[in-house]
Amino acid sequence: MQEILSVQNLKKQFRLSYKQQKLQRTDKKVLTAVDNLSFTAYKGEIFGLLGPNGAGKTTTLRMLATLITPDSGDAFIDGYSVVKQPDEVRSRIGFLTGELKLEDFFTPNYLFNFFSELYGVPEDVRARRKRELFSRFGIDRFAEVKLANLSTGMKQKVSLVISVVNDPDFIIFDEPTNGLDVLTAKTVTDFLAELKAQGKTIILSTHIFSLVEKICDRVGIIIDGRLAALDAVSEITKDKPLEDVFFDIYARTVGGAV
Amino acid sequence: MSRFKGIIAIIKKEFARFFLDRRMVLTTVILPGLLIYVVYTIMGSLVSGIAGTGDYTAAVRNMPASLSPVFSQIESFEITEATEDDDYYKTQVREGGLDIYVVFPEDFDEVIAGAVGGAAPSQTPNVEIYYSSSEDGSSAAYSAFLAVLDTFEDSLTNIFDVNAPGGEYDLSTTSVTNYILSAIVPMVLLVLLFSGCMSVAPESIAGEKERGTFATMLVTPVKRSHIAVGKIISLSCIALLSGISSFLGLILSLPNLMQGVFDGIDLSMFNAGHYFMLLGVMLTTVLLLVAFISCVSALAKSVKEANSYVGPMNIIVIVVGLLSSLVGNATSPFLYLIPIYNSARFITDIMSLTINPLSLIFTLVSNFVYAAALVFLLTRMFNSERIMFNK
Repeated sequence: MQEILSVQNLKKQFRLSYKQQKLQRTDKKVLTAVDNLSFTAYKGEIFGLLGPNGAGKTTTLRMLATLITPDSGDAFIDGYSVVKQPDEVRSRIGFLTGELKLEDFFTPNYLFNFFSELYGVPEDVRARRKRELFSRFGIDRFAEVKLANLSTGMKQKVSLVISVVNDPDFIIFDEPTNGLDVLTAKTVTDFLAELKAQGKTIILSTHIFSLVEKICDRVGIIIDGRLAALDAVSEITKDKPLEDVFFDIYARTVGGAV
Repeated sequence: MSRFKGIIAIIKKEFARFFLDRRMVLTTVILPGLLIYVVYTIMGSLVSGIAGTGDYTAAVRNMPASLSPVFSQIESFEITEATEDDDYYKTQVREGGLDIYVVFPEDFDEVIAGAVGGAAPSQTPNVEIYYSSSEDGSSAAYSAFLAVLDTFEDSLTNIFDVNAPGGEYDLSTTSVTNYILSAIVPMVLLVLLFSGCMSVAPESIAGEKERGTFATMLVTPVKRSHIAVGKIISLSCIALLSGISSFLGLILSLPNLMQGVFDGIDLSMFNAGHYFMLLGVMLTTVLLLVAFISCVSALAKSVKEANSYVGPMNIIVIVVGLLSSLVGNATSPFLYLIPIYNSARFITDIMSLTINPLSLIFTLVSNFVYAAALVFLLTRMFNSERIMFNK
């Protein structure tokens, strides 16, 4: 198995404002979002990051996508350091997350072209990929409609397509099915499986157990910024469903029943 | 060329965002110029109305034969011979039905003729002009009538003249037009440029941050410096368009604004070189302002917050603009290194046709250098997660 992602002792802390301290009922001035996290992902697999809200999944993915830098530690994607070679990393990955938005004013067609230009995709390749992806997701029916006038599902399809505009081999999906109806969610999970079939590597964060069981090859369970478990999904669910395994681990890590 | 693909893509996107949005084009480029033109034109006609180019009605009792031809030539006065009693006309003036009521002494002409002949009049004749100071038309008619009588009185006892007609006495090489332009244009132009920059930069930087679309760009391999340069070039072009529109509105409406105050604006003393210099100063000023407002906007979490930071800076621009026209000629070329003041000062120089090439170079180069430094700062800010993701 060829290693494509190597996360080495990633750590990220955020300073809490007085208001945030009050909200979280803590007097700690610093929140450790990711605490010495290390794991490896292999080429062609779907790696799931499972954890409750606030466990540090999104922070980890944002560090991998070079949007934020770790306080210590590093991660290497295809051999490139997210700390030292962020430009190289950016050109090789796709990143889909709810907090990255597309401008409502533009049409899917315009946005696809714009992001292709930012990634330096040649025009002929761009035209071909646009044709394929737009027809695959039915975007061609609303390619010239401004995003502001599209439904949530349609917008998510456009975001999905744009996140792979550069045909990356390494794709990070942060909660890709959040807020979607079952039909659109299925389109997304089917697409993930397709990407895997094409030999691409996917890092997927979610708190939906069934999604992990269905499409992930391996899963890392993150609780309070630390890796609480890491194994093949088939191995981890050998004796009981993932949900039960998760609650056991959670009780063991945090202490007490859930 | 491919090195700058990112910059070009950003510029194209910013232009598309702006020019395809009819509402933005209307409010940023078309309306400012149009509004300034309309408002100044209306202001001009209101001012000239107050100054009194209108028609006045006057009732005159005992109009002297010597003055009758003088008044019959003044078209703005509609004079009627008073036939009713005094109270009737005074009431009319008080109620606004009549502008002035004038009573000459019955023997006005004889007394005047006697006085001119050297005879001391037993009593100085008194002309009574009844008017109402609370009525604009009445006040103006009073002043106009008084002026005619004063001139008449002067002509009777003309001992000496000051600047008799026919001579060229004003030795200034620049005209009144230059004076007025150099007093008005720098401040107004700077304020208009600033508001042009303010209408686009916070929206494009803080707005994109607020809506989460900026982060989408930050995940792509395009360099942060290219985003900064692309944004500032495109926003500057748009702000410059807005500034030019406002400037055209201002220049075209000046003759209307000044109507009745002096004989119109003549711009023939400005040649293409002057306009190019003006455009150069406007361009570098806009670059500087956009870069500055962009940096402030990058610090803000929302457009609203950015506007509240940038708004008060407008006052600085107004004060600096005013200072430049009040302070008089800059003594040292190094004063042209002070941002904003240099632009205001140099626009004043262009308007008063007192241009020093060194000042031009200092102004353009220093503005450009400041803008470049701010672009560098903006790039650093785009790289800072604490600034770009502060929630």
